[in-house]
Amino acid sequence: MICGFCGKEIADEMSKESCGLCKGGCRKIHCPECGYANPAPGKLLSRLLKSKEETKP
Amino acid sequence: MSQQQNALPKIILVGNPNVGKSVLFNVLTGAYTTVSNYPGTSVEVSRGQCEIDGQNYQVLDTPGMYSILPITEEERVARKILLEETPHRVVHVIDARNIERMLPMTMQLIEAGLPVVLVVNILDEAKRLGMELDLAKLQQRLNVPVIGAVMRRRQGLEELRHALSPAPVTQQGAAYDSVLEAAIGRITDTLNGSYRLDKRALALLLMQRDEEVAALVGKIEGENTVAVEETVRTVIFEKRSDLNLQISLERKRICRQALDGVVQQKVLNGLPWSERLSRWTMKPATGIPILLLVLYFGLYRFVGGFGAGTVVDYLEGHLFEGYINPGVIDFVSQHVQATWLWELLVGEYGLWTLGVRYAVALILPIVGTFFLVFSLLEDTGYFPRLAMLVDRLFKMIGLSGRAVIPIVLGFGCDTMATMVTRTLETRRERIISTILLALAIPCSAQLGVILGLLSGVPGALMVWLCSMVFIFLLIGFLSSKIMPGESPMFYMEIPPLRLPQLRNVLVKTLTRMQSYFLEIFPLFLLASVLLWAGKMSGALQGLVSLLLPVISAIGLPGEATSAFIFGFFRRDFGAAGLYQLQTAGLLSPVQLTVAAVTMTLFVPCIAQFLMMKKERGLKVSAGIFMFVSVFAFSAGWLLNILLLATGLLQ
Repeated sequence: MICGFCGKEIADEMSKESCGLCKGGCRKIHCPECGYANPAPGKLLSRLLKSKEETKP
Repeated sequence: MSQQQNALPKIILVGNPNVGKSVLFNVLTGAYTTVSNYPGTSVEVSRGQCEIDGQNYQVLDTPGMYSILPITEEERVARKILLEETPHRVVHVIDARNIERMLPMTMQLIEAGLPVVLVVNILDEAKRLGMELDLAKLQQRLNVPVIGAVMRRRQGLEELRHALSPAPVTQQGAAYDSVLEAAIGRITDTLNGSYRLDKRALALLLMQRDEEVAALVGKIEGENTVAVEETVRTVIFEKRSDLNLQISLERKRICRQALDGVVQQKVLNGLPWSERLSRWTMKPATGIPILLLVLYFGLYRFVGGFGAGTVVDYLEGHLFEGYINPGVIDFVSQHVQATWLWELLVGEYGLWTLGVRYAVALILPIVGTFFLVFSLLEDTGYFPRLAMLVDRLFKMIGLSGRAVIPIVLGFGCDTMATMVTRTLETRRERIISTILLALAIPCSAQLGVILGLLSGVPGALMVWLCSMVFIFLLIGFLSSKIMPGESPMFYMEIPPLRLPQLRNVLVKTLTRMQSYFLEIFPLFLLASVLLWAGKMSGALQGLVSLLLPVISAIGLPGEATSAFIFGFFRRDFGAAGLYQLQTAGLLSPVQLTVAAVTMTLFVPCIAQFLMMKKERGLKVSAGIFMFVSVFAFSAGWLLNILLLATGLLQ
């Protein structure tokens, strides 16, 4: 994914899950370059997006 | 790392930082990678594996390097890998936009006799800037494979895989001018040992006083070392005035020759439209009016007018008040006899009538519209430009432009923004930002409610805005005087301005809404229960009586006390309470403005306080909490006096 602030690429393995810094687990991925908190879709939204991508021709 | 993996032929990725090396590494290796410190150093190196035409390779992602003559620890490790790992291929990744600046390192790698493949990445951005690159011509001149790529879109990946597979042919480096070549020749003639790097490259590194290479040569040459050292010393002495400059100028000349006719810069009738807009957003003369337009249309009209007005009116005023609440209250009244339970569910501070209604019908639409604007701006790439715009202003209050990240994030959620202050370089910056976040940055929900609240009263919003900007600057300035120190330099590469993608904007908005709702909903329910318990036990009345003199001192009616008690749970909860008072016609324009300013200056919420404690420690966070609470009411008191004395808003 691309960081919403600095525009740098965030490596795949980082963007698969949130950083885990927040108690209870947040839905944010902190950019390793600038620290910006990018929103990471929750499970339900990810599933919806994935199923939509799969149905595309 | 297994021995089996280590025995595989190695593909080593090298290049400057931020050219897409890690993206290429991920694209080549997939998910199965390991990250470990390079032996004997604290620098991390990623290793993975890939298969090309049935052959497995180990892929190494080296730390960013600018030259094979190392300066930093990272560069030293990157060069050590090149010296020690015997690569099958060295993939040099460069940024097409900066090809002239980055090509000298390609020359050095070729000169060192390494099996180079050149990947010219980020071609799409170069094209957008009007650059046309003839990479076939460059390949012909360098005599190594040259691949044009946009790795984040996997463009050029197949060509690269194809180029990695065959056995490499070692290339000769380009020739320098005759004087330099003669000096190189004198040193290479004295080197008798066998080396992984080409002797010409070693000679150049020795001439530039590379201590590691000197030690390596000493180890390999044995008794001949004295002769080599003598020759190197003589060459350095003879060319002592300008040796490094001469090498650097020669490399640049060779690169210019290699790039002659390769790079064409199209004249784009001046700058492209997006580039012009980008510059306007960063210059104070044009950037500030643009920022005001964004604030007016994005926040005031859309969030304040549409979100807090139209949508809330429909949801809260029409749906909840007209249909849902009467139905729920009737149902509970029919089935619940106990007064305490009735009160808990649908009473004044009931779980449904206060907790659910505030969260769903008041806060969520406001926050939703705010997040929509926020995500839209984020997707265009506006925020880094805002950072550049406010850098000068921030420097005045002891912060660098980098602090704009937590400050902008604070408009979304102050708790998360407080955590992000850890990315600031100095402790001083971290403390000043934490104070400003706790005091003068309203979160999205609070901002939306306040904009909705003030939008109906002419002048009130302007007074609120001026008060907040003044307090932000004043407190920032005073903090920086109390904690003197340097503001670090701020530098960042600005990503291109983009047209926002609808899908991106919607996904980000929904994700933020979901995250926010899951965070606040339990808190709203908990606050309802506590307020209900306070009402039933009489403690709430006691608290109201306790706070009443303070509320009266700032010129507010007694009914506003409960809104301020809500505000101790969350500022947005308190702001929603003010919204109720305003819609009931209980606040004059002056009272409304004073209440809004005081509430905005409160510590945002319990979660933010806990985060402050985690990040800055109990002593600092308790100090900030005390200061903010006293300051909020003092500022409200002063504003009330000022407004009454001047007759403004009356």
